[in-house]
Amino acid sequence: MSSLIAKSGTHHTTCPYCGVGCGVSAEVKDNVLVGVKGRTDHPANEGRLCVKGSALHETLDSDNRLLKPQIEGRETGWDEALDHIAERWKAIVDKHGPDSVAFYLSGQLLTEDYYVANKLLKGFVGTSNIDTNSRLCMASAVVAHKRAFGSDAVPASYEDLEQTDVLLMVGSNAAYAHPIVYQRIVKAKKERNFKVIVLDPRRTASCDIADIHLPLAPGSDAFFFNGLLSYLAANNKLDTDYIAKHCDGFEAALEAAQTQVPDLKSAAEVCELEQEQLAKVYELFADNERVITLFSQGINQSSSGVDKGNAIINCHLATGKIGKPGAAPFSITGQPNAMGGREVGGLANQFAAHMGFTPDAIERVEKFWNAANISKKEGLKAVDMFQAVNDGKIKAIWIMATNPVVSMPEANKVKEALEKCELVVVSDCMANTDTAATANVLLPATSWSEKHGTVTNSERCISLQKGFMQPAGMARHDWDIMCDFARRLGFGDAFNYQHQVEIFREHAELSGLDNNDTRAFNISALADISLDDYENFAPRRWPLTANKPEGTLRLFEDGQFFTPNKRAQFIPINARLPKLKAQTGQLVMNTGRIRDQWHTMTRTGKASRLLAHTEEPYVQVHPKDAELFNIKEGGLVELENQNSRYLGRALISDDQRRGEAFVPMHWNKVYASHGRADALVNAITDPICGQPEFKHSPVKTKAYPAAWQGYLLSSFEVTPKSDYWAKMTLDAGFNYAIADSRGVANWAEWLNELYPQIEDWISLEDSDGHFVRHAGFRGGVLSVALLIDKNKQALPNMQWLSSMLGKEISLQDRFTVLAGSPADDSQSPGAIICSCYQVGENQIRAAIAEGADSVEKLGALLKCGTNCGSCVPELGAIVDDELAALAVEAS
Amino acid sequence: MSAHSTSLPSLVIVGNGMVAGRLLDELLERQNRDGAKHYEITVIGAEPHGSYNRIMLSSVLAKDTSVKAIVQKDHDWYQSKGIRFISGSPVTAIEREAKWVETACGQRVSYDELVLATGSRAARIPAENLDLNNIFLFRTIADTEGMMQVAAGASSAVVVGGGLLGLEAAYGLAKFGIKVTLVHRSGWLLNRQLDKQAGAMLKTVMQDMGIEFCLGDEIASFREQNGSVCGARLKSGRELRAELAVVATGITPNAELGLEHGLNGQRAIDVDDFMQSSAANISALGECIEHRGATFGLVDPLWRQAETLAARLVNRELVPFENQAIATKLKVSGVQVFSAGQVQEQAGQRAVVIEDKQARIYRKLIIDQGRIVGVVLFGDVRSGAHYFDLMQAGKNVSADLPQLIFGQEFAESPGDKELAA
Repeated sequence: MSSLIAKSGTHHTTCPYCGVGCGVSAEVKDNVLVGVKGRTDHPANEGRLCVKGSALHETLDSDNRLLKPQIEGRETGWDEALDHIAERWKAIVDKHGPDSVAFYLSGQLLTEDYYVANKLLKGFVGTSNIDTNSRLCMASAVVAHKRAFGSDAVPASYEDLEQTDVLLMVGSNAAYAHPIVYQRIVKAKKERNFKVIVLDPRRTASCDIADIHLPLAPGSDAFFFNGLLSYLAANNKLDTDYIAKHCDGFEAALEAAQTQVPDLKSAAEVCELEQEQLAKVYELFADNERVITLFSQGINQSSSGVDKGNAIINCHLATGKIGKPGAAPFSITGQPNAMGGREVGGLANQFAAHMGFTPDAIERVEKFWNAANISKKEGLKAVDMFQAVNDGKIKAIWIMATNPVVSMPEANKVKEALEKCELVVVSDCMANTDTAATANVLLPATSWSEKHGTVTNSERCISLQKGFMQPAGMARHDWDIMCDFARRLGFGDAFNYQHQVEIFREHAELSGLDNNDTRAFNISALADISLDDYENFAPRRWPLTANKPEGTLRLFEDGQFFTPNKRAQFIPINARLPKLKAQTGQLVMNTGRIRDQWHTMTRTGKASRLLAHTEEPYVQVHPKDAELFNIKEGGLVELENQNSRYLGRALISDDQRRGEAFVPMHWNKVYASHGRADALVNAITDPICGQPEFKHSPVKTKAYPAAWQGYLLSSFEVTPKSDYWAKMTLDAGFNYAIADSRGVANWAEWLNELYPQIEDWISLEDSDGHFVRHAGFRGGVLSVALLIDKNKQALPNMQWLSSMLGKEISLQDRFTVLAGSPADDSQSPGAIICSCYQVGENQIRAAIAEGADSVEKLGALLKCGTNCGSCVPELGAIVDDELAALAVEAS
Repeated sequence: MSAHSTSLPSLVIVGNGMVAGRLLDELLERQNRDGAKHYEITVIGAEPHGSYNRIMLSSVLAKDTSVKAIVQKDHDWYQSKGIRFISGSPVTAIEREAKWVETACGQRVSYDELVLATGSRAARIPAENLDLNNIFLFRTIADTEGMMQVAAGASSAVVVGGGLLGLEAAYGLAKFGIKVTLVHRSGWLLNRQLDKQAGAMLKTVMQDMGIEFCLGDEIASFREQNGSVCGARLKSGRELRAELAVVATGITPNAELGLEHGLNGQRAIDVDDFMQSSAANISALGECIEHRGATFGLVDPLWRQAETLAARLVNRELVPFENQAIATKLKVSGVQVFSAGQVQEQAGQRAVVIEDKQARIYRKLIIDQGRIVGVVLFGDVRSGAHYFDLMQAGKNVSADLPQLIFGQEFAESPGDKELAA
């Protein structure tokens, strides 16, 4: 593998963040990643990169990297760690059977990692208890695709987004979540001026380009699309020919729609929209051939997400707006390799390579893998899996590249479950995640820039995420760790891979095995890929078959689907609103992404410029709700549910619908005291796919009664002793926003306990207790600054002070850092010349310029020199100097 | 008794200290403005020098300047301005009926208008043997020259009094390389200008200059050797070696001349708002007076007294003198002190305090009902004048805190902190 590592040069790789899957050119100098650029020859981004991607090189420092295996907090070597895991794992399986163990994976893993994990668990350990955080984002779309198309396949490509005439963005804030796709849409809209409609309860950043924003009632999307189907039928806008030739089940679907949402009026009522606006959107859908419905977590993260997906697909099938340029239902994925995991089948309710648990498939795969213990039934999906851990049914769980203690619903329960679980193994590149804190064994995994293998983005495009840096410390690739583990379990023969390409070839071969166009995922053209072609992988969209070796831009162009009879299936939808309604004193919490953070911030939280956009967890509420709950702009809001509290900064905006509160999903125990929004999410899931209802949690809401608020700037990472804190990463340390409802009697003591290593303090105290400021120095260097105020608005902007952290400040001037801002020199009297009357040089020069051209006149005007007179010679010199300068100016 | 050669009224100024010098300037300025002489002026001084800058004596002692440089009006100056100058002889008698004064040498000078500017002298302390040789009351050029002469051959000195002058004396003597011990009755230095914290900081700064301190203590007696001082015993029983002692514990008005000749007053000569004494044609100003219950020791109000008096004498204008709060400063190189108004906050008042022990910086604003009523700055006195103006103007500064305490150049409007969306 060391042959992959080049000291210097440009390497083509793929961004590890969202599902857009942008190509990245990484510039390496002397084994340091010095810069990244968008790859111009990659179809996903054509040279562009968003702010997260552009900061990739700023997140690679070794701070908090997990560098060595640990058993119960003790550092050890790989052999001991893997022996330890294998021994316990075997004992548990022997005693309790294979369903007592589980893998919980991540859309951050590479396809090769996924493949090995799936093969090991389903083929050799003998359980399907393998699920992934993709359950939290894509499960609904996967099942909707399978029900309608017979296969989990996204019909279109990003190019279609640019060729459409009407783009409906539903439950998608692509501007933040998929910035590069959004930028492509912005550019194309500028060129072609097509219509953009955003369906979202919130007015999001994506509404900037919307011709129409429909702020529909939360979770009413399926009613909207049932209403649309009724409208299409009532207005003769159906493609009856397409329905007849290529689809089944239309009548039942239409009947269900018409029964529930017969007309515009009923649609407008249930979706809480203006009828006129709604009609306009229905009309645009009906009257245009090229329509794309781009949908994301607003649809998926729901107790009826599968049905919502099918309600959308129904409308596209009914009008034949699928398999054509600029026309498709388009599910956009959250993670860089959610799609790769789906292709492998690395989910509890999938088997392998787009095959389900059918006898044929089981036999086929068993033979192909030469499987020792093939699993024949579905396993436990994420929420049920952690419930089983909690119930003691699962006794060993291995978590890779994900942070369920932050991201799962009822996340506190997940934490408790893991804390009492017999064996928790966590493989991660970071040492300090909330989940790592619950692990018995920690294994250091390679990170982006070190990992090497393939990923698939939202448009089915496979690219290489390239390893071009030496793994940090003792870190190893996830597939390699699992193969080593498999050997210890006695399955060495089936896991004897020497290089990722061998895994990829096997994966490609399996995708083509007995396929005969029955499974959409088919990359058999790559089954014999050469090492060279793999290492220089040209991004291509699957299917990649003998017929289409260069890939497939668009699926279903011929109206042929992957169901047994090759016809698409309409699904009758009985639309349902979210399970729970808000009671008095509650708002409905909606969770989502912000622009510059990725998932649980373990990497993006390290880049100060990424945290600068939004520094703290927040709660966005409508002005009327703010009034109702007495929430003040800039104050703190407390949300409560599931015995968990969330504290965030109030953002008051009519972008928000009344009755709802938006909170970002990213914050966790490492970055905030009470920022884990998902801990408040109820574990209510879609009955079909098991995806949780992240977008709709009624939560108790109140204004947090802060007795004081402030900032703690710190060179050292600490846990502030305050009810609320949120950590912001700076170039030279951290800035903690802090607040508490209880007062602090002695701030000096408060600081001394937190910083016993600092002895040199300066202070600003107010006997009335309105404010207090302290700063601590080590060797003359500003190490800590604390600024507290009863009224947060009175605190200075922390930007300047943050820039002073870690700098040496002259003894004479350092008390002024407590001001939190640099001196405004125009207001300064300047160096004091007349001590008696404290008259400064600036004042004196200004007075001379105004005409006081002698020492006497200066004295008359400013009193300088008129007391002890010792400054008179100096005053004379300044007068001469200033007059000379004025003379030069005049000449 | 000398006769007048002209018919102009005669103005006699008794005393030739700083306020007399300033009064002369004010008189001459008015004379120049009007283009006519109003008085024949006579100045009678006890010291042999012309008017000099007494404040700068500390700097002379510290060798930061010379005697020559602080003399503002030498003998030639008086001559050139047509002023009669009688030096080296104090006035000992006033004949109010006949309107003349007599000097110690028996010289009589008639007046139409008499101004008493006899100043003050250093207060004495109730210590035994205060009159030994080489014990100085730090007041005049002669005192200063004497101190410097003794200091040059001494190895230890005692300074009594931890006020401005005592500290300056200690600093000046320390520069001679001798061991200086300062004895002060109060628990901290500059107790009238600083609070305890700032006073303690000042002590550490001056200790770094090699000065030792006995605080909360007093001199019981001076020890004698051959008629000169050789040491001191403190009330605490402590013994100090000292070949030189300086007493600077305050001043006593030189009011005897006026009071003994029938002017009203208790410890000083009473004057009204226009510097008029209880007797017709006799005015008084400076450190020898008492105005509305106040006596004076700092120079700033004296300047305004001189203006008020000159306006009345020359222009018959009545511009009342108002005694305002004043700021003080210490002339010790490397030590910055600024103080005005209250020093210690009282119950119900607010104190906003910056403290940097390492840098020895201390800043305190005392606020009452939103208004500054006291300023104590140590180590960094920037914006002292600004605070002083705000205090004088009675401006409500509540909204400007805490930025105001960092200095006027930090008084930007806070609250520009926006939560990023």
